[in-house]
Amino acid sequence: MPADPAFTPRSVTWSAVRDGIRDAAGLPALMLMASLIGVGGLARDVGYPMGAGVLSTVLIWAAPGQMVLFGTIASGAALPAVAVAVSLSSVRFLPMTMALLPMMRRPGTPTWVLLLVSHYVAITAWVHSMRVMPDMAPERRIPYFFGFANTVLIAATIATGAGYYLIGQLPAALAAGLLLTSPLFFLVNMVASAKQAVDWLALGFGFGLAPFAIAIVPAGLDLLVEGLVGGTLAYLIHRFLQARRAKADEP
Amino acid sequence: MIAWLEHATGGLWPYFVVILFGFLPSEIWRWLAVFLARGIDENAEILVWVRAVASALLAGVVAKLILTPTGALATVPLVWRVGSLLAGVAGFYLARRSILGGVIAGEIVLIGAGLAFSG
Repeated sequence: MPADPAFTPRSVTWSAVRDGIRDAAGLPALMLMASLIGVGGLARDVGYPMGAGVLSTVLIWAAPGQMVLFGTIASGAALPAVAVAVSLSSVRFLPMTMALLPMMRRPGTPTWVLLLVSHYVAITAWVHSMRVMPDMAPERRIPYFFGFANTVLIAATIATGAGYYLIGQLPAALAAGLLLTSPLFFLVNMVASAKQAVDWLALGFGFGLAPFAIAIVPAGLDLLVEGLVGGTLAYLIHRFLQARRAKADEP
Repeated sequence: MIAWLEHATGGLWPYFVVILFGFLPSEIWRWLAVFLARGIDENAEILVWVRAVASALLAGVVAKLILTPTGALATVPLVWRVGSLLAGVAGFYLARRSILGGVIAGEIVLIGAGLAFSG
């Protein structure tokens, strides 16, 4: 049989899927469950059925976007305004997916596979993949990603349904702790995966600009402006440092 | 009729809202990225910039969740919300780069403050 570069032997594929499941079925799955419990409670607050909350996890697959969806519905905003708010909160998926796909794609990977991969892109799977994939054999990356991402998605979906019934019964301090889980886990993960100066600069600018962006930029656009300004500044400083180092290395 | 439907909670309406006003406006960015990423090499210089923008955006998401919190998180004062993030980073390094260590340290600070302030 002629070797098709897009496909690899089944044994390789399944061992990579298993690795992905194993790496997800621990802290990442637990953290996402804690975050999505809160989202289930929000769906209930706006009077939606449990199935709609669960569907939002499977389809939107972005806890911040889901919080915006149910939050703006609760505020009585018109539906087109709800859609705009959700869309603006999900802009980050454009640079995230663009950064991840070239690492996973191989010659001949069909577009529908890439579209399916893109649906699973969310903060947890993204940060994890960006950290582990550079050291992984290219043919293992897509199956590994599906194993990892499906595991966290299933765990989060179950948690959304459970949260729909549970969240109202929790003491306030514990409910606050659950809502802290996602920002805390994202932050520690980003610190863990930052390697080069450009990563630290991007994190620093992202945090440093946040209070100003929230205060100055019209609501909804703040994250977009902050990401573009902060990321570009980090990149320019990175280029400047590189150029200076190259000059210093000249004989 | 339309006004009534806008925030109706019966029948299949909530599912349509989730799909049309939640899923599609969010998913479009992922699909767009699939087409924009075509032909970009794994080691292309532009990806360094794209990754920096993505990282700054993620940091912004974290900052926003902490600075303008919703629900129960809003009952904990700002100083303690920020403090719990710092405790998370400190815990990560003290526990020899353990993500679990960082999360536990941050949660202890926040839940402790939550118990103290909710009385």
